[in-house]
Amino acid sequence: MFLIFKRLWQVNWAEQWQYRANLLMYLLYWLVSPIIYLAVWTSIATANGDVNGFTANDFVTYYMVLLICDQVTSNIVIHTFGYKIQDGSLSGELIRPIHPMLTNALVNNVAFKILTMIGLTPIWIILFFLFKPDFSSVTLTGILLAIPAMMLAFLIGYFQSAAITALAFWTTRVYSIHEFYFALILLFSGQFVPLPLMPQLIQDIAQYLPFQLLLYYPIQLILGNLSTEQIIHGYMMTGVWLVISWSIFNWVWRKGVKKYSAVGA
Amino acid sequence: MHTLKLLSAFLKMNIQMSLAYRADTIVNILLNLMWLGWELLSLNIIFSNTQTLGGWGIGELIALLGVFRLVNTLMIALIWPNTEKFNQSIRDGSMDYTILQPANSMFLVTFSRITVWRFWDLILAIILIVIGINMSGDLITAPQILTFILLALSGIIVIYSLWIVLIALTFWFTKFDNNVTILQALLDAGRYPATVYPVWLRVIVTFIIPIAVATTIPLQALRGELDFNQVLIFFFIGVASFIIASRVWKSGLKRYSGASS
Repeated sequence: MFLIFKRLWQVNWAEQWQYRANLLMYLLYWLVSPIIYLAVWTSIATANGDVNGFTANDFVTYYMVLLICDQVTSNIVIHTFGYKIQDGSLSGELIRPIHPMLTNALVNNVAFKILTMIGLTPIWIILFFLFKPDFSSVTLTGILLAIPAMMLAFLIGYFQSAAITALAFWTTRVYSIHEFYFALILLFSGQFVPLPLMPQLIQDIAQYLPFQLLLYYPIQLILGNLSTEQIIHGYMMTGVWLVISWSIFNWVWRKGVKKYSAVGA
Repeated sequence: MHTLKLLSAFLKMNIQMSLAYRADTIVNILLNLMWLGWELLSLNIIFSNTQTLGGWGIGELIALLGVFRLVNTLMIALIWPNTEKFNQSIRDGSMDYTILQPANSMFLVTFSRITVWRFWDLILAIILIVIGINMSGDLITAPQILTFILLALSGIIVIYSLWIVLIALTFWFTKFDNNVTILQALLDAGRYPATVYPVWLRVIVTFIIPIAVATTIPLQALRGELDFNQVLIFFFIGVASFIIASRVWKSGLKRYSGASS
């Protein structure tokens, strides 16, 4: 098994490395909106003194950490896998004795992630000197607790996106469904603004949904804003949603593969 | 006259193509409405926490959203589909046929693909501008409306010219096929008044990738914040950038040698 993963890693790393110019463009594309939100909210906080207790520095640190968390927990499986189901190139992968979604596609995502992290690092350092955030509330324990939380959150997001991607077995409109899913993340994850500034109704719903685990929860963990109880609660939520997301994915995938009949078959 | 005929032929062809995908069009319109809802909600969240953003109220920001959507429609209805076709035609050499046709090649490259249903976005954008201005309570005079239209057009021409330059670069660097991503990436900065951004970001969105010239500045004209000289300058920038873009396009075209030769 180890050998298989090693080989998959070599292939996928080489494949992603080949597209490094595209990757840089993707990174730029993805960076812009958090930086805009940062600029908008710090300007409001500076003008009014604070926004419901959030100071300008709170916003800067929030979005600076968000840039990292989002990079760790997000995935691109819909873009790298959806077309394989549609054009039938999945057939070749299905006859291999390994799960295409849980081995090849997963390793591909990780390779992509590590490359974007390498690209993000210098940009992040430049932004650090431009905005000069005060990270004094960050503790080593917070970071150490956030790392497994983010990795599990990545898996939650990955299984959910993979389940949506697998809907391509039935419909050609998976990209539209995924766009809707993306809007849900925007609404409930704390991507636009720290969740306490959202309308009360959205905050109440967000508590029960997995999306805050992708961003808001790990950001707060790193910034050291959570009590022990909240940390435990977050980890329990992560566990529950991991099981739910995995089960949904597994169910959709099994049904889908049964339904699958390749183009040209 | 010749140009108009060509344009209407392109339109007809594109309407026929989109009629083949009716269900997709409906899904796309629904998604578009969803994003409009999100944009309005995000403005509501901002203004439930503050009175003004960079000196602008919620009415002005709704109007700005309208202007932003005008530019965004240009991106999605024209620039993206035509870029895709253009990059393809450079790679496989079908650019040959475009050049051989007895019409301006820049015109053909601009209008051969049109995402027709996106035109409803234009109507939506105008509604947003009207509602926003009404909500803001600003007094608008007829000359202000005229300068707004003038500067919105010249702003859109600036963005368009930048696009022409970006795709013309493909004539020199064939592998440069994510040419337009940088334009789309910074477009989001047009949703908010450029005055709230830190200086370095304001410089980028005003001078390097001049999104603000097409969004913030026309709206400033509508509110009567620009004097006559400024209006003249921004109008001149629009004309100048179009002339430069045509020049770059022509000299790029001279370098084109077909894919197989």
